[in-house]
Formats: sequence, structure tokens, C-alpha cells
Amino acid sequence: MEIKVVANVLKLNDEVAALNRRALAEAGVACLNIMGSPGCGKTALLEATLPRLRPALKIGVIAGDIATTRDAERLAHLCDGVTQINTGGSCHLDANQVRQGLANLDLHALDLVIIENVGNLICPVTFDLGQGAKMGLFSVPEGADKPAKHPRIVLEADLLVLTKTDLLPHVPFDKTIFDADLRSLRDDVTLIETSVVSGAGLDAWCQWVRRFVDERKGVQARQVSQSRTE
Amino acid sequence: MHEAAITQALIEQVRAAMPPGARLQRCAVQVGELEHLDPYVMQTIWQASTANTDLRGAELVIERVALRVRCGACAREFTPADRSIMLCPSCGSVKPQLLSGTGIILRSLEVERT
Repeated sequence: MEIKVVANVLKLNDEVAALNRRALAEAGVACLNIMGSPGCGKTALLEATLPRLRPALKIGVIAGDIATTRDAERLAHLCDGVTQINTGGSCHLDANQVRQGLANLDLHALDLVIIENVGNLICPVTFDLGQGAKMGLFSVPEGADKPAKHPRIVLEADLLVLTKTDLLPHVPFDKTIFDADLRSLRDDVTLIETSVVSGAGLDAWCQWVRRFVDERKGVQARQVSQSRTE
Repeated sequence: MHEAAITQALIEQVRAAMPPGARLQRCAVQVGELEHLDPYVMQTIWQASTANTDLRGAELVIERVALRVRCGACAREFTPADRSIMLCPSCGSVKPQLLSGTGIILRSLEVERT
């Protein structure tokens, strides 16, 4: 006997992600999910820019890693709350882990939660965490072929960042190919080019984050008031 | 290697959908092309996770769902010949909106009454 089913296998994850999204909206906190390869400079970008974004923005960080609390230690004195999630071996964060991470932060005292996902360009993209925006990082030493090899992050990202641009004169990275591959996937996604060494692009990134927080809070306020009138 | 997390979630969903007293023979699941899930790895995890359980011996059938997009500029729907090139064949813009090719969906269970 055949039983027809149409069930999303990630239903449980997506339901918890919806709970996270609602908790963030009710507290009026924007949430950014940052994804990129190991060593692409996720933590370094935050180290360089959290001092610029604060104190105007109150920022909590959820750092995901397979092991160690090193990222949380690097960021602890630079933000208003940090929580480290060790996945043990898993290559991505899921919504339930983020739910526990959010419980460790005082959401009502924050404007923004930044989730620094486990270093990986593939698996994290599948899992909704409840974020308001997804950001993908590529770094110059990884090579110019990363957008073509990892199309999904390009297709789903709200923002892309190319890091370590100070290395462009020193490593074989064909920027023309990088740009052409990226624009073959999407011509409407914003790309910010940064270097924490030279400081290039850091102001542009901070401006994007400030605008994202403002816009997200507006959207959330409308959603919360709508759900109260329903 | 998110095949392990996905396959475990699938097994939980299968158990929830099984009628009481039935025995699973086959389970069909659709996997979007952009999920980057290796079907051989999923099969290995499925077999290892169902051995010596109520689902032992059941077959996992994995159907790949191709990427399909809608052009954000002119609304033309198309299947990109190359998944790294999303150029609209009608208007030449590159503003793809995903219609299919993501998601993991449990579609059917083949069961026998015991």
C-alpha cells in the first residue's frame, strides 16, 4: 500500500526558525546570518567593525564552531553579549542551536544579533535559523572561482562581501572572472569589497549593517502590530 | 556533510507518518539540486540508521529535483542549462528567483500491513 505524503523534511528546523524569528521581532532585534569558508575572515571582519557599530548599536554575537570557544573569546570584549555554540562535528548551525544561543542573550537589551555560522559554504545555506538577512563571504586567497562553485549562497544572499582585498596584488586572483561569474548568477546583489588590513570597505559594510537594522526594525514593528490585531 | 542531519530528520518524519502496525518497504524523497546532498552518502546513512530498527530493510528512493527559476525582470520561467549561469533567455537580465531546486520533501511511503 502506498501512502502519499508531502512533508518538508526540515519542517522541525523551519518551525523552530519561525519561533526564533518571532522572538527576535517581539524584542525588536535584527538578525544577520554570516556564512563563509573556514578562514575567510568572518571573525576578523567583526573584530574590525564592531567597535565602529557600537555603542550606537547594541550587538550580540552567536559564534558557531565545531570546537573551541576561540571566536567567542576574540569577540567578547567587542560586543554586548556573546555565546559560543559548539556543534561537535556538524558542519552547520541549525535553528534549535540558535534558539539556545538566543536564550543566552538579553534580547531586549540588543538591536542586532549576528550569527557567525560554522565555516562552510555549502551546508549552512540549507538551514533557516530565523535570521532577517543572509550574508555570504568570499576571500581573495580562496580563489576567483568560488561564486561559480557555490551558486546557492550567491542566489540566496542579501549581501556578499569579498574580504582580504589587500592580498589582490600578491595572490593569483582574477577579479574579472570573479565579477563575471558573480554577475552570471545575479546582477542585483550588493557586493562589498573589504580589507581589515587596509580598512577598505569597512565603512560601506557598517553603513549596510546600520541600514539593515533600521529597515528590519520597521518590518518587525509592522509584523508584531499586525499579529496583535489578528 | 549535512547528509547525516538531513537523513536523521527524514527518518523521524517517516516514523511520524507510518500507520500503526505497518512495516515500511520503500520511502521516496525529493531532493533539490541546490541542496548539494550526495545520494550515496544519504543511502549509507539511511542503511546504517535503519538497521536493527523497525525500519530495517526499507528502501530509500531519492529523486533529484532540477533547478528552475523565474526571471525577476520579465517573469520568464526557465531551467538554466548550467547552474552557474542564470541569464534569462528572453530579456538577458540576471535576476533569478528560485522556483524549484531547493528543499527536501518526503513524498510517499510504501508499506505492508503486518
